[in-house]
Amino acid sequence: MSILQNMAIKHKLVSIIMLACITALTLAGAAFIGWERSTFRSEMVRSLSTQAEMIAENCKAALAFQDAEDAKKTLQALHVDASIVFGCVYNKDNKLFATYYRDYAEIKVHPSDFQETGFSFAKGFLTVFKPIVLDGEIVGTVCLRCDMSPMYAMLKRNISIIVAVLLLSSLAALLVSARLQKVISGPILSLAQVAKVVSEKKDYSTRALKQNNDEVGSLIEAFNEMLEQIQYRDLELTDAKEQLEIRVQQRTAELTTANEQLTTEVAIRKKAEERQAELLKQLESTNKELNDFAHIVSHDLKAPLRGIKTLANWISTDYADKLDQVGREQIDLLLGRVDRMHNLIDGVLQYSRVGRIKEEMSQVNLNELVPDIIDMIASPDRVTVTVEDELPVIECEKTRITQVFQNLLSNAVKYMDKPEGQVKIGCVQEDEFWKFSVADNGPGIEERHFEKIFQIFQTLSPRDEVESTGIGLTLVKKIVEMYGGRIWVESKVGKGSTFFFTLPKQKVGGKNAKLQASIVSRR
Amino acid sequence: MKNKISKFIGLMTVLIAGTITAGRGAESESSREYQIKAAFLYNFIKFVDWPEEKTTDSNEPTIIGIIGKDPFGDAFEPVKDKPVKDRKIVINRFKGLEELKESPEKHPQIEAIRKCHLLFICRSEKQKFKETIDLVKDRSVLTVADSEGFLESGGIINFTMEEKKVCFEINVTAAKRAKLEIRSQLLKLAKRIVEEKPSSEEKN
Repeated sequence: MSILQNMAIKHKLVSIIMLACITALTLAGAAFIGWERSTFRSEMVRSLSTQAEMIAENCKAALAFQDAEDAKKTLQALHVDASIVFGCVYNKDNKLFATYYRDYAEIKVHPSDFQETGFSFAKGFLTVFKPIVLDGEIVGTVCLRCDMSPMYAMLKRNISIIVAVLLLSSLAALLVSARLQKVISGPILSLAQVAKVVSEKKDYSTRALKQNNDEVGSLIEAFNEMLEQIQYRDLELTDAKEQLEIRVQQRTAELTTANEQLTTEVAIRKKAEERQAELLKQLESTNKELNDFAHIVSHDLKAPLRGIKTLANWISTDYADKLDQVGREQIDLLLGRVDRMHNLIDGVLQYSRVGRIKEEMSQVNLNELVPDIIDMIASPDRVTVTVEDELPVIECEKTRITQVFQNLLSNAVKYMDKPEGQVKIGCVQEDEFWKFSVADNGPGIEERHFEKIFQIFQTLSPRDEVESTGIGLTLVKKIVEMYGGRIWVESKVGKGSTFFFTLPKQKVGGKNAKLQASIVSRR
Repeated sequence: MKNKISKFIGLMTVLIAGTITAGRGAESESSREYQIKAAFLYNFIKFVDWPEEKTTDSNEPTIIGIIGKDPFGDAFEPVKDKPVKDRKIVINRFKGLEELKESPEKHPQIEAIRKCHLLFICRSEKQKFKETIDLVKDRSVLTVADSEGFLESGGIINFTMEEKKVCFEINVTAAKRAKLEIRSQLLKLAKRIVEEKPSSEEKN
């Protein structure tokens, strides 16, 4: 079967047809020969039996009257039939009574060979036995033997005729099938050809030709339909590809433009940055100069001011009795103004010192420092200052952090308008920062002043009401920002205000500040 | 070798058997002959058809009559009880015609003779052949004898001997006259067929 499977379809068809034809013919031939053989045999048995019957009939009297000569004569009649080679008659005692031989010298048939069936096939001979019945009594037996070789010769001849017929008809079948197989293989082969062309040349416009209205026809139809679909898809694909290319080109162009713009922008920015750096440098130097200037000015201003104060004191003591009430009041006013001036100059001096004069950095435990500062402020009894949270240990300049808390706390105490003032100090850890808060329940600040209060020399109330330089918060802001922190205020008028400021952990101390604090406090 | 011995033994057996048979044959030659004849008589019945008036009653036996000095002895013993053509065979022995004529009870015997199907006329009756035949001629009796000239006397079948073999001859005309049909098979076996010329029949 695997041989058949690898064959070309036309060979396959021819082989199948031939195989079927030869099988059918062989079977028919075999059946015919088998049938003929059996017919021949039964025919021979029949005819030989008839002859035996006749002989038996004719030998009755001969047996009855023991006339062997007569029986022999009767047997001689068998001479007419060339195929009968031997005939004999036995008497009732199974003794040979009369015999007839054709060509053979002698053929022994023993009565024990008698068959109940009346005949036997052996060694190419048919032997028939027939009892001779006279008046209901078996008086003898006839035995005839017939040569089967003529029959076999005839069978052989028939076989050879059948074989010849088989060969000839196979040849005819071969010729016919070789012609007719094209009916089936033709369309398939042309379809295969088309399929090959399609797959090799990728030419989807080719179409197979439909020849018949059978299954192959519908196969070809389906194939063509598929080709059409493929062609259509191919077309769509090509279109899509083209569009994609166009889009890619567009995008590339856009990108190039954008890139160019970016390059230009980068260049511009770089220039700007350079300029900025330059400006920053200028600004720094200007700032430094300004700081120096402020320091020098305020330092130098203090000396004459001290002189004025000394002189005013002298006048106030030496000319106390000579001056009238107005004069004394004016002198006091002068002294006050001198003090304010002194404070102002001090403030400016402090302000200018921040960032200019560096102190040694040290570990500062705020849990120890803050209570000291609270004590230092000497707040009135109506105001209570409390530390709400555990404060960290930070690394910084002690003077500066003191200034921060001092200013914030003194402001809170100074402006307190409630009979039971509450000032609370808190600290929260936030990612990178310590967030400190100083909250009071004082008068509060209007939102529009949130920025203004951090500007230098800005006070919200007149100087005569509350003695203030307008430098404190500015100083605090400068210190906090110097450490990289931020300061802001949250407030509601009448309810109080909270000042928040942050200090970055990296700048002001390790993350284990709290741990250090605990160690310090244990000591 | 073995073959030779067996052949020798075979030959010896044949020789001895031959002598014995010959010796016995010498003394019972005639009895063997009559045994065959007895069998032949039986067989004749099979090959001869009697007219209807002789075979009306199937229960009636077929009668074989032997007239004269019986030479058969016990030759009928082997075949005695065998029916032929579905009929029993009865063998009736009669005294010679001469004796019958003398005896007072002659008539019933003669009637019995005439009733026979087959009548064997012994040699002792050779002188009375014609008379005996005439006695039964219109009664479809198959007359058989073993004497020369029996057929010429009007008998139907006569036994002869040829080379120590029992043969027979048939007078077809006599058979026809007795309304007996002798089958061709039997006729074929007869050594001699006698046909009387019409003139001689007229003479009879």
